[in-house]
Parts: sequence; C-alpha cells; structure tokens
Amino acid sequence: MRFFSLKRFGMLFMLVIAVGLMVFITTHAQAISPPSSGGSGDPSSPDWTLSDVSSSPPQLIATPPPATQDTCSSCHILGQNKGLWTPLARWTLFGSLGLLFVFGVFRSASTWVTRSPWKPLTNRAVGWVDDRYKISEPLTKILKKPVPKYALHWWYCLGGITAFLFVVLGITGILLAFYYKPTPEAAYSSIQFIESQVYFGSAIRAIHHWCANAMIVMCVAHMLRVFIMGAYKRPRELNWLSGVLLLILTLVFGFTGYLLPWDQRAFWATTVGSEIAGAIPAIGNLALVLLRVGWNVTGDTLSRFYGLHVIIVPLATVAFMVTHFLMIRRQGIAKPL
Amino acid sequence: MSDIQHSTDDTIPFFPDHVKTEFYVVLGILAVVLIIAIAGFIKPVGLGEPADPLNTPLHVKPEWYFLSLYQILKKIPPMVLGIQGKTIGVVIPIVLVALVFVWPFIDSKADKSRRVYWIRLAFSIFAVVAIIALTIWGEVS
Repeated sequence: MRFFSLKRFGMLFMLVIAVGLMVFITTHAQAISPPSSGGSGDPSSPDWTLSDVSSSPPQLIATPPPATQDTCSSCHILGQNKGLWTPLARWTLFGSLGLLFVFGVFRSASTWVTRSPWKPLTNRAVGWVDDRYKISEPLTKILKKPVPKYALHWWYCLGGITAFLFVVLGITGILLAFYYKPTPEAAYSSIQFIESQVYFGSAIRAIHHWCANAMIVMCVAHMLRVFIMGAYKRPRELNWLSGVLLLILTLVFGFTGYLLPWDQRAFWATTVGSEIAGAIPAIGNLALVLLRVGWNVTGDTLSRFYGLHVIIVPLATVAFMVTHFLMIRRQGIAKPL
Repeated sequence: MSDIQHSTDDTIPFFPDHVKTEFYVVLGILAVVLIIAIAGFIKPVGLGEPADPLNTPLHVKPEWYFLSLYQILKKIPPMVLGIQGKTIGVVIPIVLVALVFVWPFIDSKADKSRRVYWIRLAFSIFAVVAIIALTIWGEVS
C-alpha cells in the first residue's frame, strides 16, 4: 500500500475532523456552564466564566482568572474547596464523550473506506505487539502452566496475602510520602497535617498502619505453614533462606517506620532498640553508630531511618520477593504429606 | 527440577483458574482494607506527645512484634556466669534467627512421615504459645 493512498487519506481526513469536533465540544463545555457571580464577585470560587461579555465584543474564549485572584490549586488539600471539582468533572464527562465520538467516527470511516469488518482495538494491539516480539506462544505456556489442585487450600494463600499486603503498603506509603517531611521540626506536624487536613489522609495512614501489622502476622503464619508441612526441605532450601530474609526485612520495615512519626513513643522505642543493637558483642558500637548516625538519636537518625524505610528496604524486599516467586515457579508447590 | 509429576486430572491451569481464585482473595483483602479506611476516618491512628529527648517516659515499650524479645532481655539477671545479661539477651535471639535461617540444612533428611509432621506441629504450637505469652507478659508488665 502506498503511503498516500486514498484509503489512508480518507481515514486521516476523518480523524482530523473528529479531533477538531472534540476540541470544539470540550472548549465549549465551559461556555455552556452556568456563569458564577461574576469576575470580581465571590472570592471563594475561582472565576471559570467567560470574559465579560457585556462590556466587550462577544468572544467565545475561556479566560484564566485575573492575576489578583488566587487560583488555589491546593485548596482541595487544605479542605477549602474552591470549585476545583466542577471543571474536573466537566472535563472528564465531556472529554470522554468526545473521545467516544472520535472513536465512533474513526470506526465508521474505517469500515466504510476499507470495506472490511471492524477489528477490535485489543486484537489490533495484541497483533501489533506479537508481530514484532512473538510473545504469544511463550506467554501462553507461562499462563497455562498446570497448578496442582491442592494449592487451592486456604493455607497456601498466606504467602500471596503477604505479597498483596506489601503492594497495598507500597501504594499507601507512596501517598504518605507525598506529605511527610523527615525532619525533627516538621515530621510530627506533617503527620498531624496528614491526619487532619489531607483528604483521606487519616484513612490512608490507618491502612498503612494496620496492614503493616497484618503483614507481619501473615508473614509469620506463612512461615509456620511452610515449617509444619516440611516444605523447606530439599530442593527448596534457598526458598526458605529468602523467606527468612524477607521476614527480617519486614521487621526492619516495622522498626524504621516506627520512628517516623517522631513522637515520644517512637523516639524512645528507637533509643532503646538501637541501644539493644549496641549490646551485640564485638560489632555493637558499630551497629549503634550506623543506626543512629552518631551516639544519640537525632534528626540524622530520622533521615537515615526514612531513607532505609522508603528506598533501601523496599528495593531489597522486591529483589528477594522476585527470587522467592521465581524459585516457586520453577520448582512448583511442595506436595503435602 | 520439579520433583512432582502431575496428571492433568489433579491440576488446573494457572490462568484463568488459579488467577481467578487469587483474585477473589485479593478482593477479600480489599474489602478488609476498605473497612480499615472507614475505621481510620472514625478513629485515626493518632500520635502521642511530640518527641522530647530530655524527658524519658516511664514505660518505654517497642512494637508488639518485638515485645517478646524485649521481655526476654528484661528478665535476664544482670550478671550470668560472669557475662553481662544484656549481651546474653541480645545473642540468644541472634542465635535463634541464625538457627531458623540454616534450618533446612540441619534438617535435610527427606522425611515425609506423619510422626515427624506431628513433632513439627507440636513444636510450632509450643513456640507460638510461648511467644504470645511473653508478648502478653510484656504488655501488662
């Protein structure tokens, strides 16, 4: 097929028209919204209306709010809702309708121009990728791998639950890291801010807190299950080793995360905990200084624990989880008695 | 490689059958997470007093999962056989973890008998009960 064939040109032409229509619809979605009290009226809502139509020649352009007025892009965080949701909902609604319309036009044009039935987009995408990388056959082999039926007992789920809780903790942890400040001056108040001001902040923190506790319980339960059933025996010794390392990493997660709120309990638990590490024979003082960054628990300790909690330990955990899963995959699930 | 040879009768394909089951488990966890979120709205996790390095509180306690180890450490007398009790209290958990770590190499005999299974089960129950008892003791003391 030549590049500038009639077929291609027709489809391109229709696409340009459809995109133009979409832009027209979405920009005019603002025009049909009810005007608020006017440009200089209520300061609690930003001026999303058109420029003053009565005094100047009519022009259908949505203007930004005047420079003197605070657009307040963070008001939804501070709880002072200044009408950010209305334009958002409007763009989502009309934008998706526009995209749907573009798709419809493209589909009609395509079937009309090519004189062939429409091929679903998913099939096209899969075909496109498979054409280049030939992954369909190995992927099928991976996905169709037989799993023994006894692996459906509930006690085989414990490890999977632990892994999923790790995912939940990762997501909520990233959300908390957006607002948390790891300095002794700001840590406590930033958590107060999360608990009282941030939308869903207290819920996200509660999920992070309780799922962390649940992860330790599940981790230990999974380990007990493997121990009781004797699944650690040859050829699965390395799986047990990586599992014990994962449990230790989970405990390190707990220990480092406990300091981050920087309240009395956190501070003194860390003081006592690192003191215990300092009682290890031979390497005690080294461990103590490495943990505390100095001889006392200070802001440097907080920075170190934060770095460990959000970067080092997660990376190590993901690495060991991947090896753990790959070994299970390779060897299959151990047969019960 | 795998020591198991399955016939097609006692297996299911990983996808979609096994993935579907796992998906239901994930949905269950998400339901629990939703309940926790609602509980977090009603009763946030909260914070204690701000950290004050000059003011030591009366009872310093670690998190519950370190409480049993902490209790062992607290209850060891200060001097045992000329060694500091604190050192013993630190070395015991490290030795235990090291033992757990290399356990598959110690217990390497391929034994599938019921008797050994019951021994392991009894030992696990004993260990769990001991840890729970120490944790409760540490919590109330």
